[in-house]
Amino acid sequence: MRLGRHDLHILTGAYALNAVDGAERDRFEHHLRRCRPCAGEVRGLRETVTRLAMAVTMAPPAQLRQKVLAGAAVTRQLPPPVTRPGRPFPAGAAGRWLAAAAVVVVLAALIVLGIAQFRTRHQLDSAQAQNQAIATVLAAPDARIVTRAATSGGTATVIISRAQQKIVFTSAGLRALPAGKVYELWLIGPPRVRPAGLLPSPVAGTTAPMLASGLAAGDKVGVTVEPAGGTSLPTTTPILLMPLPA
Amino acid sequence: MCMSRGDARRVRPRPARAEGSSSQDLDGLLVRVARGDQAAFEAVYDRLAGPIYGLIRTVVRDPAQSEEVAQEVLLEVWRTASRFDASRGSATTWVMTIAHRRAIDRVRSVAAAAEREHKTARPLIALDEVAESVEASLDAERVRHCLGGLTELQRESITLAYYGGYSYPQVAGLLGTALGTIKTRIRDGLIRLRDCMGVS
Repeated sequence: MRLGRHDLHILTGAYALNAVDGAERDRFEHHLRRCRPCAGEVRGLRETVTRLAMAVTMAPPAQLRQKVLAGAAVTRQLPPPVTRPGRPFPAGAAGRWLAAAAVVVVLAALIVLGIAQFRTRHQLDSAQAQNQAIATVLAAPDARIVTRAATSGGTATVIISRAQQKIVFTSAGLRALPAGKVYELWLIGPPRVRPAGLLPSPVAGTTAPMLASGLAAGDKVGVTVEPAGGTSLPTTTPILLMPLPA
Repeated sequence: MCMSRGDARRVRPRPARAEGSSSQDLDGLLVRVARGDQAAFEAVYDRLAGPIYGLIRTVVRDPAQSEEVAQEVLLEVWRTASRFDASRGSATTWVMTIAHRRAIDRVRSVAAAAEREHKTARPLIALDEVAESVEASLDAERVRHCLGGLTELQRESITLAYYGGYSYPQVAGLLGTALGTIKTRIRDGLIRLRDCMGVS
């Protein structure tokens, strides 16, 4: 049975409840690595599900504490995941296409920074797939770059490929947010506003490049501050609203 | 939105619990646990053993098996604390996800399935029981209120899946409802719960 993207997205709820098994779960997790809005939704729904868990708190048997602590004392812990030096993206290929070679170098550095944020093997693999997709946008013959200041400080840079209907978004120096708040990226079109993912935590003030697909004519790129996990529609005034070149 | 619905007598203003800071404490504790800090692990135990055991009991039912699973989960937290990544969700959610998955592993095995033939997942009994406990009453009250705002099918699907530990195809079978409908109702219901509980 072949599932469409829409069917997969509907699984966010069941997945957050750990109610998806086997091959279907594998397929959904594969999809999640490519679908930032889905990942954002799963995160919010998981936090919701945690409230369901906290509501059934029950005192554990008294002896459990001693058993667990004794067990821990004789159990070796996993070492922290180590970042592997990767080959983030073929800068040469991108360089052939983009006239502004310096920009590519900067972006390559950003992508390496992005890689540094991924700490498990699993994350690294998905990051590498993501970087392939990003490199494809950078290498697009019609790639254009725009930069704009955010109202609350910092700047955003967007690389657009109309042919691929994709953008790559990075930012530098955005104001740090309090706990429980995130920056959310939007594609803001005349017909409707679509969530395009949550900005990753900055490293040295810079957020790793993120890819947004489904760019339509007339879309602007926007960024708002939202509660952790993101929302499906903006709830605050954008700190960035960027028209894109046609 | 949920607050403006009927059933107002059950709505209590939610005291401003220091939720943000306490969940951050837990994040910090896990970081210390990852470095082998046993005192930090004891603190995590004291904070989360009750929720872990309660969730596992709700799903697994059998007290002896639940204790075993809870022990596995807590040791798993100790062992894999270095894999906790605060950028991907709260520490509480990380731990409770492990607990729920382990509970499900236990009940979805074939032998356990046969044992559970009575299959009356009646999770709300547990919810009523814990409402008496002071520390959990606020969470339970809130959850009960928000569950009350769902349609019956949404509520049954979610509670059977989560508290009952059933996969969504099993839920569809139990409720005699199409798979696609169950998937949609679970998602719609959880989104409504999320908004009602003000999860950020």
